[in-house]
Amino acid sequence: MFNYRVYWTFTKKSFLRSSVYRFDVWSRLGSNIIFLLMWGSIWTALYAGREEAGGVGFEAMLTYIVVSQFLTGVNGAGTPLWEIQEKVRTGDIALELMRPFDIPLRYLFADIGSVAFYIVTALLPLYTVLFIFMDLALPTDWLTWLYFVVASIIGFMIRYCIEMSFGLLTFFLVETGGIEDIFYFAMSLLSGSVIPLWFFPDWLATIALYLPFQGIYYIPNAIFIGEIAGAEILVSIGIQLFWVAVTYMTLRLIWNRASRKVVVQGG
Amino acid sequence: MLRYVELYFKLVGAGIRAQLQYRFAFVMRIVGMITAYSGTAITMWVMLYQFQELGSWNFYEMLFLFAIAILSWGFCIILFFHFRSLDTYILNGTFDRFLVRPINPFFHFMAMKFDVAAFGQFIFSIFIFIWVSIELGIDWSFGKFLFLLASIVGGVLIQGGLLVIISALAFWTTKSEQFYWVVMYPARNLTNYPLVIYPKFVQWFTAFVIPFGFVNYFPAAVILGKETPFFPENIGYLAPIVGIVFFVIAYYIWMLGLSRYKSTGS
Repeated sequence: MFNYRVYWTFTKKSFLRSSVYRFDVWSRLGSNIIFLLMWGSIWTALYAGREEAGGVGFEAMLTYIVVSQFLTGVNGAGTPLWEIQEKVRTGDIALELMRPFDIPLRYLFADIGSVAFYIVTALLPLYTVLFIFMDLALPTDWLTWLYFVVASIIGFMIRYCIEMSFGLLTFFLVETGGIEDIFYFAMSLLSGSVIPLWFFPDWLATIALYLPFQGIYYIPNAIFIGEIAGAEILVSIGIQLFWVAVTYMTLRLIWNRASRKVVVQGG
Repeated sequence: MLRYVELYFKLVGAGIRAQLQYRFAFVMRIVGMITAYSGTAITMWVMLYQFQELGSWNFYEMLFLFAIAILSWGFCIILFFHFRSLDTYILNGTFDRFLVRPINPFFHFMAMKFDVAAFGQFIFSIFIFIWVSIELGIDWSFGKFLFLLASIVGGVLIQGGLLVIISALAFWTTKSEQFYWVVMYPARNLTNYPLVIYPKFVQWFTAFVIPFGFVNYFPAAVILGKETPFFPENIGYLAPIVGIVFFVIAYYIWMLGLSRYKSTGS
């Protein structure tokens, strides 16, 4: 039986906990702004005054980057990879195994709380101002906004499952150096978070399209600026749903193995 | 002075022996570093696949710019990276042991740790230097090579200086690690790309306030013969001096903070 109230408590608690660590929120927002400045400048320089490149207008491209940076903020506000690894290494996670809840779900619901706090207090105010004062290509009909929100939430779930799976690999490996770097690389490049897939070399774009990472940034961003439009939107969201299912089952599989390993070792 | 040099190697030698006890961890960390930097290099390549140039810098020139930053950062990790966690030492009260010994506390804290994983940075950046030199046909005269070394030293002092200033903040605020992630980590990322692409106030800031421009952008422009709009030509030659001045300032800020330091008093 799935008991919503237990998990909902985690969400509320972590929302409240975030409100105590104000400095964290501000520092996270600070570096988000610096990275926004960096990628905004890079794309302005790449376009070098051209109105459009590769069939995409400059305004749309700039919008892509701003929205992507917003989603980076959303996806970065949960439990970071190193914290999960740390919990496994120190054995803290074993204590949680004794408690009557499912750990992958417990972290997901806790993340939702801290992410919600960060969105409400930091991201929304900042990006509302940016949307108003910058020359950006915002969607004109409400349905696109809705699709964007849906795609972003599914993207968040994909990212959560992948990141948690990588974190739990710590159970099986003594040293995770190299593995987490591959994760971060895939997360930034193959997801299309800083360079949209249509600017990739063809072979690399094909690889990226067959991987789950594009569902995290590329699909929501491209829906937002109208590069994915019409019937394609539903197909893309379908692909995202497929990846949520796959990554969630992978996470479950790794978790089952991992928790059994703890029992064996803990003797 | 000589006593300090001898002492530094003794303290550091002990640190290295300790780290080499974990061979596998050591190798994996180096592999991890190289993977991460290759990731950034691949991102640059993909970025320029369609566009060819970023603010008149091509892919190889950008790699060169990146490699200078990585090489000096490698030395910086060895010498100064642990400064960022001074706050932990202060909060735990373990900082006091640096004060009760008959040597300069700044020096003692600096020699406490020597991170050998910086080999990853060295392998990566030296590989890039060779590759780019061949691709761009840079002719390495003795003078040019000497200037590269001098500006690497400058870059180490600038980045090390900022780490020292960040750690000194812990004397006033009991926070330092977080300042690293807010200020320095993004600043380092910013300077992986030629400064010319940023708004003027950012360029001005990175030249004269936190002089990260002198870590790689200005020296690389001198070596590759690139223009640096808004700045005097060959301003890059100043890099070593800027490094020394900035580090001396950082050292005095740290000592000032230390004089204000009160133990957690448990």
